[in-house]
Amino acid sequence: MNGWRTLLPNAWYVAVREYRSRARSRSFVIGTVVLAAIAFVATQLPVVIDLSMTTSQTRVAIVVPSDGLPPDALAVITQGLNGQQGGREAYLVSWLPGVDPAALQSDLESRKLDALLIVVRNPTTKDLAFTLRTDIPRDGRPVANITTAVASLQLEDRLVRAGTSTAALRAPYSFQMEPIKPNSPSTNSISAEVSSSILSTGLIVLIFMAIITYGVWVAMSVAEEKSSRVMELMLNATTPLQMLTGKVLGNGAAGLTQYGVILGAVVTGLLAQGPIHKLVVGNDAGAQFGGLSPTVLVAFMVLFILGFLLYSLLYAALGSLVSRQEDVQSATSPLMTLIMIGYFMSVFGLQAIDETWVKVASFLPFFSPYMMLARVSTGHVEIWEFGLAVVLLLASIVVALFVAARIYSAGVLLYGQRVGLRQLLRMARVSR
Amino acid sequence: MSLIIDSVSKRFGEVQALEGISLEIKPCEVFGFLGANGAGKTTAMRIVLDILRPDSGTVTWNGTLNSKVPRETWGYLPEERGLYAKMNVLEQLVFFARLHGVGAKAAEREVRDWLERFRIPEYADRRAEQLSKGNQQKIQFIAAILHDPEVLLMDEPFTGLDPINAALLKEAFLEMKERGKTLIFSTHQMETVEELCESIAILDRGRVVVGGSVREVRRSSGRQVVRLAVEGDPEIAWLATLDGVVITRRGQDYTEAEVSRGVDPVVVLQTALGRGCKIHHFEIAEPSLEEIFIEKVGQIDMTERTLAPKALRA
Repeated sequence: MNGWRTLLPNAWYVAVREYRSRARSRSFVIGTVVLAAIAFVATQLPVVIDLSMTTSQTRVAIVVPSDGLPPDALAVITQGLNGQQGGREAYLVSWLPGVDPAALQSDLESRKLDALLIVVRNPTTKDLAFTLRTDIPRDGRPVANITTAVASLQLEDRLVRAGTSTAALRAPYSFQMEPIKPNSPSTNSISAEVSSSILSTGLIVLIFMAIITYGVWVAMSVAEEKSSRVMELMLNATTPLQMLTGKVLGNGAAGLTQYGVILGAVVTGLLAQGPIHKLVVGNDAGAQFGGLSPTVLVAFMVLFILGFLLYSLLYAALGSLVSRQEDVQSATSPLMTLIMIGYFMSVFGLQAIDETWVKVASFLPFFSPYMMLARVSTGHVEIWEFGLAVVLLLASIVVALFVAARIYSAGVLLYGQRVGLRQLLRMARVSR
Repeated sequence: MSLIIDSVSKRFGEVQALEGISLEIKPCEVFGFLGANGAGKTTAMRIVLDILRPDSGTVTWNGTLNSKVPRETWGYLPEERGLYAKMNVLEQLVFFARLHGVGAKAAEREVRDWLERFRIPEYADRRAEQLSKGNQQKIQFIAAILHDPEVLLMDEPFTGLDPINAALLKEAFLEMKERGKTLIFSTHQMETVEELCESIAILDRGRVVVGGSVREVRRSSGRQVVRLAVEGDPEIAWLATLDGVVITRRGQDYTEAEVSRGVDPVVVLQTALGRGCKIHHFEIAEPSLEEIFIEKVGQIDMTERTLAPKALRA
């Protein structure tokens, strides 16, 4: 095959034609717009969640005796309900010393208040007695939180009555954390762990979707040329290798364009998150890009492009075996299975990122786009490991290019025959 | 200086598509491939174009192996016509020309010229799917010649064309020939071959049954045909009594008889004169290509031409 010598410029012309006809098609334009809109809306989810959180704040009124409580009673209660400091407050507490509970009944009935806590001192035991007037379910989270806060107040009150000074109660003490094994790496916070795992899954889904969607485009465009019979005209004008290369690059570029637009919508959405948050919720929470470092982005792009090239070459080869576009789905189903296996392996692999099978699979060309990405995005990888996976992927692309070109050049002239595995292997061995 | 097909064989699974065919096609010649469906015409063309590789044998153009010949040497009109349905005519013709190494501007100029010559300049901006079959075929022909190829191979170029468009295409054919191009086409329309071809090859089940210049092919037939018409005797029954003469056709205008090899057809004329007939028409004709085709490919052709007998129903 003398394809290498003359790969250009024809592969380029084919790529440009593929790109144009793809990018001008109505399905491409509509698909891009719809997906970009969905992506933009998705980035505004945190705003929606915050909005629903704000309205779900529990309003609690606490009626207490006008005197005789420990000096920092209010602090004990709010700390018990809303945690240490910072963060979003789940409870809006009104502290009402010496108020008649009956005065608040109308607020409770009109739902301006969710709960009324009445605190009195029992004249005989001298202990505090609590009454919680509310329709919140007995096993609801607010009841549990209020119960805990109340217990702290009771304890503090008893200690103060026993003569312990509040200063002694508040005296600092030591609390330290240490890993199970001295060199254990897990020092991340829960939110960082969660956000990096969500990010990894998200990136894996992105690669998965891209390979399936755009790979099928390649197979479709090959089958289209066959079914419209323009193939023979093309075969006289170009070599199969030129056609194959052009198709993969053209459709890949169209796919990248669509991805670029969607990513643009995501970035715009994230940047707009702050202002929109301010507008809708009232305060500026700011955008959160959890764990998306430049390293991960570069690794994602590299694996995305190489993975797409490898799979779409095979998609083109399989697409050349069918005569009609309707048959593309069934002809490419083995490839689909392979992609699904890689996808599920990586989703499970995320939960077991340091297992040997995950490490091994992250080097195997058909799985490395997912598995290596999973390892990179969770930070469990050495630079040479990534390099090795990329080199193996590149090598397999070169092999796939030759095998696909062989199958392609034999397949494009076949009409109406069903091609079995044995014939496929023979095609790959001998040219035309 | 010629296209030489040397003992080319090709097998597809169980089917021997070509069995050692050898042909020489001279430059600037119009060459016709004749053959029934499945005789191997398309396979032969695809092998010449290096779209298919032969199992054995070689194809050379001016002494160079076909796989080494620049692709723009060949122009090809495949039997299975196809264009990019959604692409407009100008864009796709320019695309095909550029694949053959024509510059973008030159390509557009050529395309507009040819559309003009085929009297369809207004189709430049239409999508291919909006054109009629016949007009699509013209576009495909233009696609095959845009890059000014030295050799033009066309698979059944006239099928599906109405007489007016067929005449248009023949004119384009002759123009290509005048420009010094070599034209090779396959067909089973004998009149077209007699009208255009200088040389032919008749293929049957992967073999060349007969090949060469049209005149040689005609002579290669052992058949001699005599056409005779005499006044007052449309039957000419005595003709059948002559040794080695078989009446093959009785018509209003003349009666046609085949004279076997070794018998001089002039005997027929002498006999007629001897019987005192008034002769209106006497002709020693060369057999038509159709007759030669039927003679050479006869057996299979006859079975293909007649329906299988009706199945008997109880």
